[in-house]
Amino acid sequence: MSSWSAASPGPGDQAWNESQFSIPAGYGEDRIVLLVKDPWWLYAYWEVQPSTERAARGQLLPQDIPGLQSVLRIYDVTGIDFPAQPAHRSFDIGLSGLATNWYIQTNAPGREFIVELGLLTAGGRFLLLVRSNRVMAPWFGPSDIIDENWLTTDEDYWKLFGPAAGIGVGSSPSAWAKLAPQHLFSPGWSSGSLWAPNRPAAIKGFWCRVNTDLIIHGATEPRSTVVVQGQSVAVRKDGSFSLRLALPEGTQAVTIDVTSPDGRSSRTVTPVITLAWTGALSPDGAKPNPQRSDMPRPQDLTPGSLP
Amino acid sequence: MSEPQGFLALVLHTHLPFVRHPEHADFLEERWLFEAITETYLPLVERFERLANDGVPFRITMSFTPTLLAMLADPVLQARYIRHLDKLIELSAKEIDRTRWLPPFHRLALFYHHRFTAARQRYVDTYRQDLIRPFRQLAERGCLEPIASCATHGFLPLMDVVPSAARAQIRIGVEAFEHAFGRRPIGFWLPECGYHPGHDRYLKEMGVRYFLTDAHGVLFGSPRPKYGVYAPAICPSGVAAFGRDLESSKSVWSAEEGYPGDSEYREFYRDIGFDLEYDYVRPYLNGDGTRLNTGIKYYRITGKTNDKQPYDPDRALEKASEHAGNFMFNRQRQIEFLRAAMNRAPIIISPYDSELFGHWWFEGPEWLELLIRKVHFDQQQFSLITPSEYFQRYPTNQVLEPSMSSWGNGGYNDVWLNGANDWIYRHLHHMAEQMTQAAKAHAQPDPLTRRALNQMGRELCLAQSSDWAFILKTQTHTGYAYRRLHDHMARFTRLDDSLRQRRIDEGWLSELESKDNLFPFLDYRVYAEGS
Repeated sequence: MSSWSAASPGPGDQAWNESQFSIPAGYGEDRIVLLVKDPWWLYAYWEVQPSTERAARGQLLPQDIPGLQSVLRIYDVTGIDFPAQPAHRSFDIGLSGLATNWYIQTNAPGREFIVELGLLTAGGRFLLLVRSNRVMAPWFGPSDIIDENWLTTDEDYWKLFGPAAGIGVGSSPSAWAKLAPQHLFSPGWSSGSLWAPNRPAAIKGFWCRVNTDLIIHGATEPRSTVVVQGQSVAVRKDGSFSLRLALPEGTQAVTIDVTSPDGRSSRTVTPVITLAWTGALSPDGAKPNPQRSDMPRPQDLTPGSLP
Repeated sequence: MSEPQGFLALVLHTHLPFVRHPEHADFLEERWLFEAITETYLPLVERFERLANDGVPFRITMSFTPTLLAMLADPVLQARYIRHLDKLIELSAKEIDRTRWLPPFHRLALFYHHRFTAARQRYVDTYRQDLIRPFRQLAERGCLEPIASCATHGFLPLMDVVPSAARAQIRIGVEAFEHAFGRRPIGFWLPECGYHPGHDRYLKEMGVRYFLTDAHGVLFGSPRPKYGVYAPAICPSGVAAFGRDLESSKSVWSAEEGYPGDSEYREFYRDIGFDLEYDYVRPYLNGDGTRLNTGIKYYRITGKTNDKQPYDPDRALEKASEHAGNFMFNRQRQIEFLRAAMNRAPIIISPYDSELFGHWWFEGPEWLELLIRKVHFDQQQFSLITPSEYFQRYPTNQVLEPSMSSWGNGGYNDVWLNGANDWIYRHLHHMAEQMTQAAKAHAQPDPLTRRALNQMGRELCLAQSSDWAFILKTQTHTGYAYRRLHDHMARFTRLDDSLRQRRIDEGWLSELESKDNLFPFLDYRVYAEGS
């Protein structure tokens, strides 16, 4: 979650409040924009003003009204000066009146497209509302065009394709068709996910974790020294001190030495703490991590011996 | 030494979106930068410097996005990073005490405390808070080839309908690079490897010699590439495209088969920010008190189990060494094979996100250093190279037009164009057109109008970051991504309205300039030039 819960301070102009800006649904234009999603799919978004649609409807005869439908007409205009020249082919997608965008399956890698939004009468008359930009869906697969200065045989091409695509050597056209989508385009971690990571799916089933921390706290004359098990502990200005320790199973004798500021008086106290566990946290009876039997016991640890 | 049989180009793409909120004392998403500095940028710099000081010749290519460069140079974020680090040092010191009776954890607490303390010392004393300088110095020593990227990581294939916007992303990116590195970039990282045929022309205009694409960008190019991705493809504009090698990429990137998933490596998802008692860690959480990753992590991946074992840095290092050796061995075999098939020395392009090393794959920087050492000392079959050095050796290459492509899931535009984020393009395209119109309408603006136009350019760029679309898709931090899109649209729209009404609120403009303060050099006329 973002920490953006508190509203940012408003801009200098009292009349304008950034947080109250609402992203508009449209911009009062007649427009359709076509984008490529991948070799097989396009995406279009559009906006048509009611006045434009009314003007188009004005051209209709009364008998055209029943069955009138908004459609997207997709033209294959590969290598063609459209609309001056006719398209290679076209197909329609019927729309509900509310749609303002659509994913269009063309299944035609390497072809160029233009889309028109219009009204289609039951009699087949098409009234254009807006026409899109031209896009080209990327070709999917090795190009059929060979440069004679850089001649390559199918065999040589596939030899180098295998390792490049991460599917090993000796691949063939039939192998890559199956393997390429799986290997070529699944990097595992995609860029950006590094900062917006999804936590992995939790291991199924009920679980719990229990840990024990021990807090030793006290107070003495300010500027006294406090040493717990040979290691000094910070004493606050008011003379209080505290120390938090993860507590493993077993018995700990905690020697606490307190010495007065002038070094003349001292006290030693040794609380002895015993922690014993019964029960188990996981189905196989394992104890929680800090109490694992394969871990060294506290007494194995010599202070200061660690890196 | 005999002539190498082939070459390996390691390319690290270094990027973070611009996240800077001086209006808040404490801001969760600013931690992306702080974590990246501690876990990735400092460790990489340290290792590269050590290699250079040890006289190990190496070549590595690194892109730096302008948004990241702006944040690294920003005094507000620099001061906040030190504050962040001080809190971590404090927490790790408490952990040394707390883990006294648990040796494997105690050892790790000391390990982290030392790491954070050393990071602070390097950041403050050695680099004087300027992390761009050591990278620049590595470039001057000839080890590092820094390359440029788009202004705000705009995803260009979906910007093609407003060519001036795509072109401006590239031009501003090149300019930001020049400010940071004091030279023109030779290479360019297209964000997300997003290539749309024709955009190489904009790179050409800026004097860029090469860019990187995903494997199929070159493999599916036309005419058919004789050498696959193992030699550059020269675009019709004359700029070279180097295609990614997926065999080498997979061994690092793949979540399942890749090295980073090894059971000895540190587990990313077990962090004391989530594991320890709430009141104890509360002072180290953000303002709203939601648990988060502190960076102190005590467990190793262990396996597909919740019962994680304590992390052992020594065993992890051994594993990193083993994996570096394995990577080198596989490249030797690959180069042997390719050399025979091509009858020329191949170049293998292995691009990764920099932040993978250290942030996600904790041992990644060690792996990289060990790999570089092994490549130099343990074999002679191949050597490291930068793309630009490769075409010094092989100046003649095949001309072809690469295919539209990206390195996102699916290989095309799906990640940035789907049901979760497609609504943004209507607005981004509209803004880009308004920007172009405004730029053309104001040939001789007065100083205040000029400032407003420049700020419009900044707001447009910030809205165009591919990161927002990506985050909307992944459904984490979506509130933040939405808010950023919203706010940059709001600021842009009001600036545009102010220009039309010839009524600019200077106080508000100044506030925007200090908030979204990146690219002080930005000149709005970049949107008026060309087509």
